[in-house]
Amino acid sequence: MKLQVHTSLLRAWRRLVFRWRRAQRDRELAEEIEFHRALKQTENRRAGLAPEAAGELSRVQMGNVTMAAEECRDMWSFLRLERLLQDIRYAARVFRRAPGFTAIAVLSLAVGIGGNAAMFTLVNTLLVRPLPYRQPDRLIRITGIYPRAAVPFFQQRTRTMDVAAVSPGAEYNLTGQGEATRIFGSAASANLFRVLGAAVAAGRSFEPGEDSPGRDSVVILSNSLWRTKFGGDPSVIGRAIALNGVPRRIVGIMPPAFAYPSAQVQAWVPMRLDPSNFLEFWAGEFVPLVARLGDGRTLAEARLEIPPLIGEFRKTFPYPMARDWNRDSTAIPLQRDLTGDIRGKLIILLCSVGLVLLIACANVASLLLSRATTRRKEIALRVALGARRLRIVRQLLTESILLALAGGGLGLFAGMGALSIFKSLLPSSTPGLAQAAIDWPVAAAVAGLALATGLAFGIAPALSASQVDLAQAIRTGSQRSTAAFWTHLRGGLIGGEVALTVVLVVSAGLLIKSLYTLSDVRPGFLPDRILTVRISPNSSFCTQRPACIALYERLLEGARGVPGVAEAVVADTVPLDAEQPDLAVDVEGHLKSVDHPAPMLWSGAISPGYIRMMHIPLLAGRDLAEADGAKAAAVLLISASTAKHFWPGENPIGKHIKSAGEQQWRTVVGVVGDVRQYSLSKALPDWIQGAIYMPYTQAVREDGQIPAAMTLLAKARAIDEGVVREIRKLAQDQNPNVPIGQVQPLEEVVTGSIANFRATIRVFIAFAAAAMLLAAIGIYGLVSYWVTQRTYEIGLRAAIGATRSRIVSMILAQGLRVAAYGIGAGVLAALAATRFLASLLYGVGAADPLTFAAVTGLVLLIAASATAVPAWRASRIDPIKSLRVD
Amino acid sequence: MHGYGIAQRLRQVSGDVLQVGESSLYPALQRLLLNGWVKAEWGASENNRRARYYTLTAAGRKQLAAERAEFARVIGAIEKVLNMA
Repeated sequence: MKLQVHTSLLRAWRRLVFRWRRAQRDRELAEEIEFHRALKQTENRRAGLAPEAAGELSRVQMGNVTMAAEECRDMWSFLRLERLLQDIRYAARVFRRAPGFTAIAVLSLAVGIGGNAAMFTLVNTLLVRPLPYRQPDRLIRITGIYPRAAVPFFQQRTRTMDVAAVSPGAEYNLTGQGEATRIFGSAASANLFRVLGAAVAAGRSFEPGEDSPGRDSVVILSNSLWRTKFGGDPSVIGRAIALNGVPRRIVGIMPPAFAYPSAQVQAWVPMRLDPSNFLEFWAGEFVPLVARLGDGRTLAEARLEIPPLIGEFRKTFPYPMARDWNRDSTAIPLQRDLTGDIRGKLIILLCSVGLVLLIACANVASLLLSRATTRRKEIALRVALGARRLRIVRQLLTESILLALAGGGLGLFAGMGALSIFKSLLPSSTPGLAQAAIDWPVAAAVAGLALATGLAFGIAPALSASQVDLAQAIRTGSQRSTAAFWTHLRGGLIGGEVALTVVLVVSAGLLIKSLYTLSDVRPGFLPDRILTVRISPNSSFCTQRPACIALYERLLEGARGVPGVAEAVVADTVPLDAEQPDLAVDVEGHLKSVDHPAPMLWSGAISPGYIRMMHIPLLAGRDLAEADGAKAAAVLLISASTAKHFWPGENPIGKHIKSAGEQQWRTVVGVVGDVRQYSLSKALPDWIQGAIYMPYTQAVREDGQIPAAMTLLAKARAIDEGVVREIRKLAQDQNPNVPIGQVQPLEEVVTGSIANFRATIRVFIAFAAAAMLLAAIGIYGLVSYWVTQRTYEIGLRAAIGATRSRIVSMILAQGLRVAAYGIGAGVLAALAATRFLASLLYGVGAADPLTFAAVTGLVLLIAASATAVPAWRASRIDPIKSLRVD
Repeated sequence: MHGYGIAQRLRQVSGDVLQVGESSLYPALQRLLLNGWVKAEWGASENNRRARYYTLTAAGRKQLAAERAEFARVIGAIEKVLNMA
């Protein structure tokens, strides 16, 4: 084998040398053959022939010398390569002569290929490429979330895996390093980095036992936090900082690519596992579990082990836990867990760009088909001069592949732009998203795609063109003869293109309608002219309730004094922002049992005046008042749906609710309207049964403390820069150790909550618009081609009395027939395809008849206008001229 | 040996059974050159004209041995089959 490679390399080298000195080789060969002939002649003379006869005979004996020389010459050159270069040169000339055609073809391919390049990159980075950890296929996620107590339990009991835990993350105040800032940190069991097989870039990882109380005052920084906040200084290792007021020593820095559990996390602290801290250990934030399969263990074995473990663990809870708690939990590959939410969206986008590419291909194929017809004469001439059919097909395929490669090259650049747009559609916390870039494998895939599309859209036109009837084509230039098959194929291509367009436009239409419905949703409050700013002291600051309350009272007083501010309140959360406080509660008259665990409620802490300022309607009872202070009787408001859920048909005023950890009941004093706290599209998540509002001075969180971080809401007479500046200054002046967020109008918070959705819609609109434009070009091209081909016939019709309007309607009917078939097929395809969009839709069915009707009308209109121009041109055909042409 | 000589020799040795057509001799020689199995040098012929002389190279000898063994194997096989009849 090695020898063969060697020989063939040598052969190629000699061939190159021969090719280089071809003229000399040619001369030498001629001389050699002539020498041979001369000897033959001598031989003949010796046999007794006359000189002329001897010469004559020797020439005959030599046979076809020209052919032999030709064969040798072929051997000395790279014939295929040279023909290819010749074809390419010729193709380039052809394209230069038809710049309009070339531009349309290359651009439409660039759009299709560019979109695909971007999507390949995303799919490759997020779904295909293995996670950047050691043996990533051994990593699993145990579905469901668990209290911290589950971590040691699983670690001790499992026989199939190495279990770790990591919290999705929360905000921390970082102090002791410049201005106080709010960062996003995650609590990880000490073995997390070892289980993942991820090494630190500097310093060390957590050591075993560092998740036990007293040893947990360490922190590992993300690369981005280290660079932005610590200036990339390698000597920070060992330095002390404070997170939420707790001093911690920096022990390590992670590499830039490490993004677990999400790209949002800037620091990791040990997850303290302290059985003596009841709230934290059993009731605090529940966390996901990840694990590495043990040596020789399989995913199936882990799946078998998990349900019994969960059953045993459930019995160890110190409070009743629902019988079906985490009953469906199982093990899934970690990669699938990380991409779970975006997988569907990615696949929808991938299919859409695939459709756009298909449309572009159909269009270019149809353009090439019509060009093939106009080039009939040229091709017939080449055939007449001895070109074989295969040779012509190859020439035409070279042209189409060249087009596709040009489109692909341009598409790579388009893809870079498209990639940044697509990235903005996915949650920025997705691990690996920031690293997604068009790389060599993707570029190679794009090149492959370009070649394949070139072949796909080139093969039919090339075959059609090479099928020429010589005599007829040269005689008439073939204005009248059509190969019916290829014309039908072209009609089919355009029909298919229209069908694909309908699918994309219907998708876009459904999404637009969703957005319209969504922006019409009454969120239950009025965000007009309200400014918000988040103030987040350490929770330790608020262990002293009075100090905490005093801070906010001062702030409220200050805010009310700002010129231009009409009202000011504080609340621990505003609707539709990231903070979603929930609380396990006991409800009067609702006994808890294994089958009915403590209900979870959304629980807001507000200052009096909040309900009025937000224009949340008071439906029964009274609003909170200044008198409901820290020392007054505990009261709360409930939302209308909460009242209906717990006390249907009863008067809820005077009933009681308390936090699951408390002794003292709180009295319901009022019922207010429902507010979309979580998202515009959904009232409450399934696991939240209602909403309550407490006066912030009386409020508790799960840990029994008053919520420390609050948002100041100020209703301005008009929002201008002055007010914004004043509010920010006011917030900053309170305490230099308290981080301050951005001053943001509440309306921005509301629109921001659907920004992602809007971006998705914009992309779909872009796809749909591109598809419609391409389809219009396709129909226009098809009908123009018909008209050109049938000039003679139309002239004849005009000559024997067809009116212009008759001719126009004849052509229109023909164009619209193709469009109608396409639309029919498209509607069917869309009915099948839009089901997959259902997760993105809001308030509109996947088969919404109105949208389908509107899209059908729109596409028909576009088809009609694309047909109108050539139809009009057909009506202007002068019978005299058209009949005389041939 | 030059081209003419090769053609002559082939005819003589095979007792006029094998005659190589001139039009296929030269392409064949070129193919051997390309594969590096023979090398060619210009020299003076018997009648003092310039002629191209071909000699087997080491690689050519090796190839010849290989081809010969293969040929013998095939011929042997054919003979066996024929003898059976």
